[in-house]
Amino acid sequence: MKNEKVTIAGAGIVIGLIAVLLVFFGNPANMGFCIACFVRDTAGALGLHSAAAVQYIRPEIIGLVLGSCIIALATKEFKPRGGSAPFTRFILGVFVAIGCLMFLGCPFRMILRIAGGDLNAVLGLVGFALGILAGVFFLKRGYTLKRSYKMPKAEGFLFPAVEILFLILLAAAPSFIHFTEAGGGPGAMHAAVLISLAAGLIVGALAQKTRLCMVGGVRDVILFGEWKLLLGFLAILISALLGNVILTAVTGTPYIHFGFAGQPVAHTDALWNILGMLLAGFGCVLLGGCPLRQLVLAGEGNTDSAVAVLGILVGAAFAHNFGLASSGEGPTMNGKVAVIVGILVITLIAAANTKKEG
Amino acid sequence: MEYIATFYSHFGAIQYRRACEKAGFPAKIMPVPRNLSSSCGTCVSFVSPDGTYPPVNEELEQIVSVEKAGFGQVYMAEEN
Repeated sequence: MKNEKVTIAGAGIVIGLIAVLLVFFGNPANMGFCIACFVRDTAGALGLHSAAAVQYIRPEIIGLVLGSCIIALATKEFKPRGGSAPFTRFILGVFVAIGCLMFLGCPFRMILRIAGGDLNAVLGLVGFALGILAGVFFLKRGYTLKRSYKMPKAEGFLFPAVEILFLILLAAAPSFIHFTEAGGGPGAMHAAVLISLAAGLIVGALAQKTRLCMVGGVRDVILFGEWKLLLGFLAILISALLGNVILTAVTGTPYIHFGFAGQPVAHTDALWNILGMLLAGFGCVLLGGCPLRQLVLAGEGNTDSAVAVLGILVGAAFAHNFGLASSGEGPTMNGKVAVIVGILVITLIAAANTKKEG
Repeated sequence: MEYIATFYSHFGAIQYRRACEKAGFPAKIMPVPRNLSSSCGTCVSFVSPDGTYPPVNEELEQIVSVEKAGFGQVYMAEEN
C-alpha cells in the first residue's frame, strides 16, 4: 500500500512537470493537458464544429490512448470489455464536455489552472467536489450502469486504431482536416507534434499503471477516507506549481500569476465556474472516472469508455455549434441553459439507474 | 483467511458487504488494490475462517485470497 502511494505520487510529479513543459514548448497557458479542450480541438479539426480558433488534432490525446494501450498490452492488462449501458455513457459524455467547456477545462486542466495561480479554478474545484458528492449520493443508494462483458480483441483494438488514423491525418494534413491558422487562437498554439505525442505516451502509460483519476481521487476520500488516488492529483498540483515557478525564474516570462482577472483561457464568473464543474464532476462519477481515465480505459480495450469519449467529442462539437462554450468574456446564455439542462438530465439518469433497495 | 472480492459496480460491492455481514464474516468496503483489477474501483475485504463465502451476485467479478506472496484466485465470474 505504501509502495502504491510512492508510485502514484512519483507519477503525479512527472505528469505535472510534463504538463508545464508542454506549455513551455508551445501549448496554450495552463493547458499542458486538457482532455475536454483537446478533444474539442480534435472535433474542430475533423470539421465537427467550425470554431476556427480551436481546430487541431491534438497528439496528446492520441499519445494518452496509445501509451495506455501499449503498457496494458505489455503487462497483460489489455482486456477488451463493453456492453455496460453504452448509450447512457454517451449522453453522460456529452454533458461532461458541456460542463467542462462552461468552466473552460477538464478536471486535469482545473489542477493545472490552479497551479498557474488561476483562482477561478479553485471555485471550479468547489463545484467539482459538489458534483462528486451528488454522484456519491446515488452510488451509495445503489446506482449502477450494470456490468460490462468480455469483448473480442478486435473490438478493443478499434479505438486505439482510430487514434492511429488521427495521427496519420495529422501528419498528412489533407485539405479536409481543419487547422487553426497561426495567431488565430488556442488551436494554433501547440508544442511540436513529436513532443506532444511523446508527452501523451508517457502520461498515458503512467496513468494506466497508477489508475490515476481526478474523480476517483475525490470519490475515494469521500467514500472511504482513502487518500491514495488523490495523492496523484496533489502531486500534479505541487509539481506543476513548482515547474511554473522555475520556468518563470529561468525564462523571465511569467508562467504563474495569482488572481481571478486576466487568466489565460478562463473567465471570472464564479457561479458558472462552479456549476460547470459540478456538472462535469457529477457526470464523471456516474461514468466511473474523469475524462483522462476514460481515455486510458479506452486504451486498455474498454469500449464503454471509448463510447464515453465519443460522447465528449460530440458534446464538445455541440458546445461550439450551439454557442454553449464559454470564452474569456464569460459564459453564454445558451451555455447556462445547457448546463442547467445537463444537471437535470444527469440527475434523472442517476435516479433511473439507482436501485431502491440500495 | 482474508479475502478480497472485486465488482463491476460500486453497488455490487455494497450489496456483497451486506451479505458478508449477514453471514457473520467481518467485511469492509475499500478501494481496489491497483495490482488486482482495473475495474470499478471498489472492493470488499472480508475474513472467512473456513474458506466459504456468501453467494456471489451478478456484479461480482472475482474473489481472491490475500496471501503473503500476493493473491490466490478463489472465484472468477464466467465471461459471457
